[in-house]
This record gives sequence, C-alpha cells and structure tokens, in this order.
Amino acid sequence: MSAVAPGVVAGRPVTPEARSGAAARARRLALTGGHRRSKAIRLLVGAAIAAAFLFPVWIALVTSVDRASQVFVYPPHLLPSFDFSPYARVWRMEDWPMYFENTLFISSVTVLLALSTSILAAWALSLGGLRRSEAVFRTMLVALIVPGESLLVPNYLILYKMHLVNTLWAQIVPFGASVYGIYLLREFFLGMPRSYWEAARLDGAGPMRFLCSVAVPLARPILLTVGLYIFIGSWNSFQWPLIVTVSHSVQPIEVAVESLQQAHSVDWRRLSAAGVIATAPLVVLYAFIQKHIVAGISRGEGLSGG
Amino acid sequence: MTATLLEPVEVATRRGAEPGRRRRQRSPLVSVLMVAPAVLFLALFVFLPAAMALGIGFFHYHLLGVGTTFAGLTNFKDALSYPIFWRAAENTALFALLMVPTTLVGSVAIALVLNGTSRGFGLLRSIVLLPYVTPVVATAIGWIWIFNPQYGVANYVLHGLGLPGSQWLLSPTMALPSVAIYTLWHGLGFDVVLVLAGLASLPRDVMEAASIDGAGRWQRFYKVQMPLLSPTLFFVAFVSTLGALQSFSQIYALSSGQGGPGFATTTLLLLIYQTAFSYFHFSYGAAMALLLVVMILVVVGFQRWLARRWAFYQ
Repeated sequence: MSAVAPGVVAGRPVTPEARSGAAARARRLALTGGHRRSKAIRLLVGAAIAAAFLFPVWIALVTSVDRASQVFVYPPHLLPSFDFSPYARVWRMEDWPMYFENTLFISSVTVLLALSTSILAAWALSLGGLRRSEAVFRTMLVALIVPGESLLVPNYLILYKMHLVNTLWAQIVPFGASVYGIYLLREFFLGMPRSYWEAARLDGAGPMRFLCSVAVPLARPILLTVGLYIFIGSWNSFQWPLIVTVSHSVQPIEVAVESLQQAHSVDWRRLSAAGVIATAPLVVLYAFIQKHIVAGISRGEGLSGG
Repeated sequence: MTATLLEPVEVATRRGAEPGRRRRQRSPLVSVLMVAPAVLFLALFVFLPAAMALGIGFFHYHLLGVGTTFAGLTNFKDALSYPIFWRAAENTALFALLMVPTTLVGSVAIALVLNGTSRGFGLLRSIVLLPYVTPVVATAIGWIWIFNPQYGVANYVLHGLGLPGSQWLLSPTMALPSVAIYTLWHGLGFDVVLVLAGLASLPRDVMEAASIDGAGRWQRFYKVQMPLLSPTLFFVAFVSTLGALQSFSQIYALSSGQGGPGFATTTLLLLIYQTAFSYFHFSYGAAMALLLVVMILVVVGFQRWLARRWAFYQ
C-alpha cells in the first residue's frame, strides 16, 4: 500500500515505468472495489437461494408443531404455534424407538463391516505379496459400473436362498464391501512413505501389527469420509429395505415413515413430526461433518445404498 | 501411479527375502485371507447377481424352484408389447429430460453465485448441500403437503406471484415436473459442489490473461470459463442422467407407491419394482431391468461420445 505514495517509491525516484505501475495498481484497486460490490450482491443472492432451500424444511417444522385448527387453513401458516403433541404421539404410538434401533443397527454394522473388509483388502492389495493383485483390483473396480437396478431381483433371490429375507442382515450383507473404500485406502497405503514401514520393522513389528497401529490410524481421514458416506447411505436407504422386508420389527425408519404416510395420509401434523424426527439425526450429523461430505463429492464419491 | 506402486512391492519382496523362505511362502496366504472377505461379498452380491441378471429374464422363474421353465424371449416380447412398459419408458426419458438441463443450468448458476472463499459463502454452500444428506421419504412427506392444491405453500407462492394455482402431484401433466422439483431440491447441492470443485481447479492465469486482453465478464464466462469447465459439466450431466433414469425412492414416496395419478409418474424402476416385488413376476421384472440397463447404456454411451467430441480436456 505504502508503495503508492506519490513521488518516491521504495526510496527510489519515480520513473515513468514505476508511475505506470502505480496506475495499474490503482486500476486493480478500483477493480477489487467492484469485486467487493459484486461479492456483496452475490452474498445476497446466495442468501436468497439458501433460504429457498431451507424453506421446505421450515414448512415441515411449522406444520409439525401447529395447532390442529391451524393446519387446514389458507393462506398457509408460516409461523409455528408450538403444540408438541404430534411428536409425543409419533414417538409413543408408532414404535419409533424400535425403528431407530433397527436403523442404527443396520447403519453401524454396515459401516463396521464394509470398513473392515475394505481395510484388509486394500492392505493386501497394496502389499504386493498377492499374485495378480492388479487383476483382482481391476475386477473389483468393475463392480462400480454394474447397474444397481439389474441386481435387485437376483439379490433378492440370493438372500431368499440364504434364508435372510425379512431380517436385519439382509439390509447389511449386500453392502459388506465398499469398492470406493478399497480404492481410496489402497491409493493411500501405496503412497505411504516406505520409511514408516522400515522404522516399524526395526522395532520388531510384523505387517499386521504395522497395519493396526500405524497404517490404519494414518488413514483415519479416509476412513472417516468413507464411513460417513456408507453410514448416511445406509441410514437413508429405502428401496432395498422396502424390497427385502415385510415385518415392522426389522424395518428401518424410511420404510416406517412411508407406512405411516400411507396409513395416515391426512394427519399432516403427525406426518410432519415423523418426517422431522427421521431427518433430525442427519441434520445434526451434517452440521459436524459437512466438510468431509464436500471433500468426498469433490473427489467423485456419491452416497450409495438402496 | 506406477512409481508409487513399485515401492511397496519392493518392500514386500525385501521383507520376504530377508527372513528366509518360510516368510515368503506364508505372506501370500495372509494376503489371500485378507482379500477374501471383500472378494466374497463382491462375488456374492455383485458379480453373481449380475451374471444371474443376464439369465433370469429368459426363464419363468418361481421362488420355490419348482416349475421354473425356459421362456426364451417371451418376457422381453411381453414387456415390449406392454403399453404400460412404454409409458414408463417415456416417463423415465421425460424425467431425465426435465432433470438434466435444469440440473446443469441450476448448478452452474448457483455455483457462480456461491463461488467465494469467505465464510458467508461456505455457510450458504452448506445450506444448499443440506437436503442431499436428508432421507428421501421423510423429506418427501413435507413436500406432499407443500404441493397440496388447497392448503399447500406451492400454490400460495404461485398466487403471490399472480399466477394460477396447480394441482401439482394430483395433476397428470404436472405430477412428473413436481417430482422433478422435489428431486432438484434434494440433489442439486451435490451438483453445485461438483461445479464448485471444477471452478476451483480452473487455471487462474487464463482468466487473468483474458481480462487483460479486454474480455468482459460475460465473454470470460462464455468463451473461457465454460469451455474449461466442460469436463465437469459433462460429468454433472452424466451423474444427473444416471440419477434420473434410476430414480425410485422419491417417486415411490410422492405417489404413495402407485406411480400415479394414472401412470403419470410410473418410471421404469417403479414398474420393475411393482412387477417383481408386488406381483412376484421375478423373471418379467428382471427382463424389464435388462431393458432399462440397455436404455441407460445407450444414453450414457451417447453422452460419452458427445463428451469426446465437445469436452475440452486439458
């Protein structure tokens, strides 16, 4: 900034070049001024867009705590009146704790299972001791392009033969391996400096010990992202549980919400409350982990799961 | 990649070489055991069913295994002469045609607005991405209420703009667009993040060079940014096409599993679900699924051909 001072630039007499440099700087300053104005406008427009994205969530919240007399009104009620009885009714009468338990069980076990199989496979595939490990890895990648809709009927039949239809496990085992996880972890293990392994070996660690106490802790950021993606995908899965379950006792929240919707299609307070209850855990989770979600998408991942 | 690949291989062979032969023989067994679980899951729930998918459509399959007979092309012929199959194919294509252009324009527009480093932009980006992580059925319920023709907010907004209201999900012509509106709300944030990642990877010096050469903002956008961004845009188009052709949950939720009104929102995947799992015609459903896969391959193949011709890869 001080360099723009007229007359002397950095202790030297002003040459024509320096003066034109100052002019360019002034021009750039004017430009950033314009930038600042355009930034403010963009922030305003962006806020309007964000508000539009939040508006439906707001409506669901308002409807869920409206008084009964204020639901079927026009113009619609845009501010809440705080009657929480629909929540109590949803929570007490519809076996919601059970659906939550089912969903939590399915998602957590899927994450644990898929991460363990991925860590082990990625480690073995990056060690190089395995014959044809490149071919194995490439074959695994093929799984990424198999279109999911062609698998619905055969997977149902396979689970039927395994006597797993209408169980919690039917919603877990089809997602027991994550090719994305294997891919990302293998890349990571391959890129790990050799000196880590050499140091560990000098201390007398075998490959398994090294994997557990050095490689896996180092890969924590990847495990976190991959795990979160699997967790959210599993928590939100609807199509597969709908296909593979019939009993309420093994169904996850999404299927329960759908049954509720078909059974009570006019009780909008209760339906909205159910929707809010089912959505809230993810919104809370998202508040903490959105950075990882963004990182995952930018790397080309997407939420998967039925 | 080959350079990094060599290092652990070297480590492994050296590790094997030093402690003698026993170690070298044992390590592959350990490796095999370590890959085995993942291979098993993929084989059982991806590769085996994929192979079965190619076959089931050619049989009349019965769940208990009795009375399964070879059907030849019957299932495929039946599907192709079933008017509702064609209606579903049409709806699926129409849904993709609604989704892909709006996704492209919407994600680029929002990304250009939200492309900034300050904290405010970060917060706005998080909000736009939020619906993407929410469960489809649970949030679709809220939208059914919003789309309520009599009391819903959607018509309230239209009336506020001086426009006539709509029957939304209850209208045969507006039902599919209504589903598209929900789907955009739910998924557009994902595409916005993709475009933002693409914008962040553009070389700055090219933009600066363009502005020094006197290109205006619009010219820079149209002649520099967009061509450089074209690989990202083709990727967004690819992902949203796949998503649209495979859409199921939101359609099920918004139409109470019916695909109605009439068959207005019956997409192929919903029809496949109903055929295979409501009426238990597994083979017929599997045949339809294969036809959907063919449709997807044709569309995606066409897009890749376009991308190879038009996208500007650096």
